[in-house]
Parts: sequence; C-alpha cells; structure tokens
Amino acid sequence: MDKPVPGRRHFLITSAVVAGTGLAGAIGATVRDGELGAPPRTYKGGVPWTEGQADAPPGVSGDDFKFFTPAERVFIEAAVSRLIPNDEVGPGAVEANVPFFIDRQLAGPYGRGDHYYLGGPWPKGTPEQGYQSRFSPAQLYRAAIAAIDKYTHANFNGADFANLSDDDRDKLLKSMESGAIQLEDGVDAKTFFAMLLQNTKEGYFSDPIYGGNKDMAAWKMIGFPGAHYDYREWVTRHGEAVPFPPVGFKGRPGWNGEG
Amino acid sequence: MRMLLRIVGVLVVLSLIAGAYFAWSLNHVAALPTGPVTSVAAARILLKPIPDGPNAAQLRQGQYLARLGDCLSCHLRADGDAFAGGLGLNTPFGVIYSSNISSDPEHGIGHWTPDQFYRAMHDGVDAQGQHLYPAFPYPWFRNLSREDDDALLAYLKTTPPVAYQPPGNELFFPMNVRASVALWNVISLPPQPGAQTPQGASPEWIRGEAIVLGPGHCSQCHTPRNPFGADTRGKAFQGGLLDNFVSPDLTGNERTGLGRWSIDDITEYLHTGRNTRAAAGGPMGDVVTYSTSMMTDEDRHAIAVYLKSLPASADADSTAADPASIKRGAAVFSDACTACHLENAVGQPTLFPPLGNNAVAQQNDPTGVLHIILAGVRVGPSPTRPSPLTMPSFAWKLTDQQIADVSTYIRNSWGNRASPVTAADVAKLRSKLQLDEARLTDNSGDH
Repeated sequence: MDKPVPGRRHFLITSAVVAGTGLAGAIGATVRDGELGAPPRTYKGGVPWTEGQADAPPGVSGDDFKFFTPAERVFIEAAVSRLIPNDEVGPGAVEANVPFFIDRQLAGPYGRGDHYYLGGPWPKGTPEQGYQSRFSPAQLYRAAIAAIDKYTHANFNGADFANLSDDDRDKLLKSMESGAIQLEDGVDAKTFFAMLLQNTKEGYFSDPIYGGNKDMAAWKMIGFPGAHYDYREWVTRHGEAVPFPPVGFKGRPGWNGEG
Repeated sequence: MRMLLRIVGVLVVLSLIAGAYFAWSLNHVAALPTGPVTSVAAARILLKPIPDGPNAAQLRQGQYLARLGDCLSCHLRADGDAFAGGLGLNTPFGVIYSSNISSDPEHGIGHWTPDQFYRAMHDGVDAQGQHLYPAFPYPWFRNLSREDDDALLAYLKTTPPVAYQPPGNELFFPMNVRASVALWNVISLPPQPGAQTPQGASPEWIRGEAIVLGPGHCSQCHTPRNPFGADTRGKAFQGGLLDNFVSPDLTGNERTGLGRWSIDDITEYLHTGRNTRAAAGGPMGDVVTYSTSMMTDEDRHAIAVYLKSLPASADADSTAADPASIKRGAAVFSDACTACHLENAVGQPTLFPPLGNNAVAQQNDPTGVLHIILAGVRVGPSPTRPSPLTMPSFAWKLTDQQIADVSTYIRNSWGNRASPVTAADVAKLRSKLQLDEARLTDNSGDH
C-alpha cells in the first residue's frame, strides 16, 4: 500500500464528489424559503400570516448519525476530543455531543454548501477571500478524513488517526492548523482544520436544539443564560446574581418540574 | 289528531337536530385555515368616498351599514375579492360557505330586487325562495328598517362585480335540508331591540342597543349557543365559543367580562383593536378590521354605553390549581412569554396585552387562551393601527403538559382566578386544530 494505484486514488475522490453531488441533488431539489436560489415572492394586501404555522428554528430529531460512516465517526470523536478535552473546567466536545451536531450539519444544507459558490475556477485564494474550495463542507470532511488517515498510515506505522496517542493527535492537529503538513487528494489541511475547529465550537456552544451542547453544559460552564428574554427588572439591581437558569429554545428541566 | 301528528313531527326533527349537534361536537374536527388570513386591503372599499350625486345619501348610508354589519368578516375569503364570499365557516352543523354578495348579476346579488333583499335580511329567505342558514345573521339583521335594507342593497350594487361561485355547503342531516331552518326560526330568534329597553334610557343607550342587537349582531358570538345553535335564553352576552375560539363575556363581570373596563377602554378597543387591557385577535380582530374601526366615534361610544349597562354574569366557582403545576407554569412563562408580556405579565400598553386581570385568560372555558398559545394570534389591523402584530404559534415548542401548566399559571396569577387546565384539554384542542404535527415554515425543521 506504500504506492497506491493512481487509478484507485482517482476513483476515490471522484466517487466522493459524485456521492456528494447526488446527495445535494436528492435533498437540494427543494429550495427552501430563505436559502440561496429560493425564488422571490410577492405579497399583497397585508402582512402574510398563517394561523398555526410556526417559523421554528431548524432543529434536529432522533439520535442516529446521518452522514458519518462508523469509521468516520471514530475519527471525528478522536479529533474533537482533543480540540475541547473533557477536564475540570467543563465537559469535552464528545461529552457535549459535538460529533452528532457536526454530523447533522453535514447532512443538511450546510454540508451541501448551499451557502457557498462552489464552481470553478479554484486557484488558491487569500484568507480574506474566504472559503475557496471545490469541496462542499461534507465533501471536504469525507476527503479530509480519508487523507489524514492515509497520512497517519504512512507516518505512524499504519495506525489510524483515532489510534494515535493524545500527544501525537495534538501534534498532527497543530501542524494542520499551521499548514505545515501536506495532505493528498486535493485536501488543504489548513482549510479543513479551520472548518473542524469552527464547527466544534459551534456544536459546543449552540442551542441544544441543533444536537450539540448537551444538557446546556457549555452554557452552564460559562454562565450564559440562553434564550431568556426580559431582564428589565434586573437592570438596576447591581451586585445580585440573576437567578435564571440556562434555557434553550425547547426549554429546560424546570419546565417539566425537574432540576 | 292532525295537530298531534304535527307536534310529534316537530319533536322528532328537533331531536334529530340535537342529535346531529352532539354527534358533531363530539367528533368533528374543525381545522385551522391553511392559507394566509384575509387581506386588510380589501377593507378599504368600505372607506372609498362616494361622490355626490342624486342618490349619494342613500349609498353613503348603505356603505356605513356595510361597516356596521361587518359584512366583510364573512363575505371575503383569503386572497378573494370584497363581497365575493367563499369563506368557509365552521359551525356545529357543518361548513357553511359565505355567498357572493357583490354586484355580479349571475353569481352575486346584482339582479336582486329590494323586496327580495328585504326578505333575505328580514326572514332569511333568498331570491330563489330558499331558506338561508342562520350563519347569515338575519336573526339580527331583521331588526334593520326597510329603508336601511334598501340603502344597503343600493350600495352593494355599486361594488365591483365578481364572477365567482363559492363552494357548496357541507352540512349534516337534518341541517342539510334547508326547510329545517323554517323550524329553527320558530324557536330560535334572538330578542329584538326595544323589547327590554328600560324606562328613561338615554338616546345614546338606545342607539347602542340598536347596533348591538341589530347590524352588529354581537350576540351571535358573545352569547352561548344552545343545542340548536341559537342564543341561550337568560345567558345574553355571557360569552360563547366560535371556531375553537372563546368570545368573551361582555357583561359587567369583573373577572370574565367588561367589569373593569371603562367606556373609553371599550371605544379605544373597538377603534384600534388595542387598549391597555387587551388586543383584538381571532374573529374579533376581523370585526375590528372590517367593522368597528370604521364606525363613527358616536356609535362606538353608544355601543360602549350599552355594553356597560349589561348586568354582571354570575361568577363561576373555580377549583384550586396544583402548586406543582403552577411552579412548572411559572418556569415556562418566565422563559417563553416574557419577551413580549414581560415579567409579572405587565405587557406593553396597546402592543402586548397585560395578562393580569385579563378577561380572555380567565374565561371559564380555557379554549381561548389555549388556542392563542397553540396556534398564535394576529391583532386585527385598522386604519389607525395598521400593524398586524402577531403572537407566534407555540405548538412546536411546548408540550401539552407545558401548555396546560403555563395556562394554569396565567389563569391564577397577578389577580387572576380560573380553573386549572389539564394536558388532556390541550391535547383535545391541538387535535381539533390539526396541530399534532407542527406546521412549520419552509425553512424550519430538520433538513
């Protein structure tokens, strides 16, 4: 395996792109209101409002993984647990369900890159130019996980990334962050690391409705009260602790008489 | 003997009607409308100046009567044209579609004679001699004068013709037999103005009574229906249920009625749909948009004077709430409701109603408050307050138990007192409103 057949490598990346495109084609057939490409709408006669209809945040349901394969899930858990480890300060990214959050993001419009222009040309851009990849985020994760494992196979005695020691994983992640290592198959290590770190932070701190921040643990850690609204009574009450426990879009244990 | 047969026949039909009603009220699911609510712009036709001319006075009188009578609340469907009808009304007897009363000669009433129109308004019989269902408020409109009816018809004939045929009614036996309405008329007509006018009543009170019992047809919603769908005797204006919405008590009851409201509170509410105590949503929002916001100040004042004279309804007992439910409800309220209603439910005057001493919250039947939480509500826009403020639906966010708890908390806080609500009450209404599956916009939910 030290000299992969070029044909196979080509096949891998092509199938990743095709699979991603197929996914986008199947799910992206319906362009939703507010998404890129949604047709403009005209309203007349009054402000539109339909009784009983809710503009709810696009939360997740279920607990199954929709995008990552079992092997990819192992990789992601091994990676995010180094970005936010479980320690005395607070829960780690795995404990806060960040891998599940990222999985559902990649299975949806974010993963499809609905918000990006993904057509060519693809020269290397400057950081100010933002995301400059031909991969959608989902395609980038899939290709990057394969490329990183290929890198560790070659450089760590055939081991998967997930089987490396904490120190080795930290070193590898740092060299990805600085752009010190080159990955194969068209994956830019620095771009992937930036996306992974960003998504990890998002999953750790965003509302639990999106699948991460389990039990609002990240909010409890930093004392953020969440989606509570009226603080007017507290504006002039200096030096007192505000008694509101953190609350998410879908509530908190106190709503059910718990906690 | 023939007389006896007739009486037996009447009793048989009556029991059929009552049976149909109870079967309906047990089983029928009256869903929410699926489209956007009706257009506000359509109401502008009622404010369109009528140019001077030979019969301008009559046409202006007719146009004003069309405002007093709230014609557009029913004779306008979502995205439809003014007076073209086609709005489905959920009644206990089935769905009745409002008719086309535009000037179109074929689909509307463009060819109707004044005699035919008077008969419809007075006796509930259309130009073809068919009985109209009393969803059309002829039991109240019969109190208009012949001159009023002539003016209203003359005005309607000046409205743009709309070639539109509303759908047929979907009613159950025996109410799908129009002749059964003749029987209904004998037993069900509401009181007429003047019948109970006290000695020495002021002209303003008499004017208020004439509007409320006449074109305003207020008791059609605000008096409880009896099993025949008519006003319940002795319960006038003590609050009713329409389309899974509560029409509150209008008597002087301080908890459920207008007892705490001043005359100015009432006139401001009728004028703008808002005041410091409440906001007009649901069917009453339409009444404000299409009727009361376009009345004269004098008429609104007269209505308020009349309503303030209604004796308070007997105060119903309420059972005590479970403290655990109150505690859970307080938690939900503090997180989910205070963005608009604020801590301690003080609200924002004329924007978001305060919930303390709130009549809708304290109705004996909690349907109104549950409907508002489950489906949301829109404040009826009006010329002076055109922004249709809305409360969103919480059906996706709160469970039945959470809605029951927060409703129980609201109904028993800040001076309020009313019986607690159970999760089963919420589940029943959620199912009737077909909100078991949350109705989400395109850009919500799991992708």
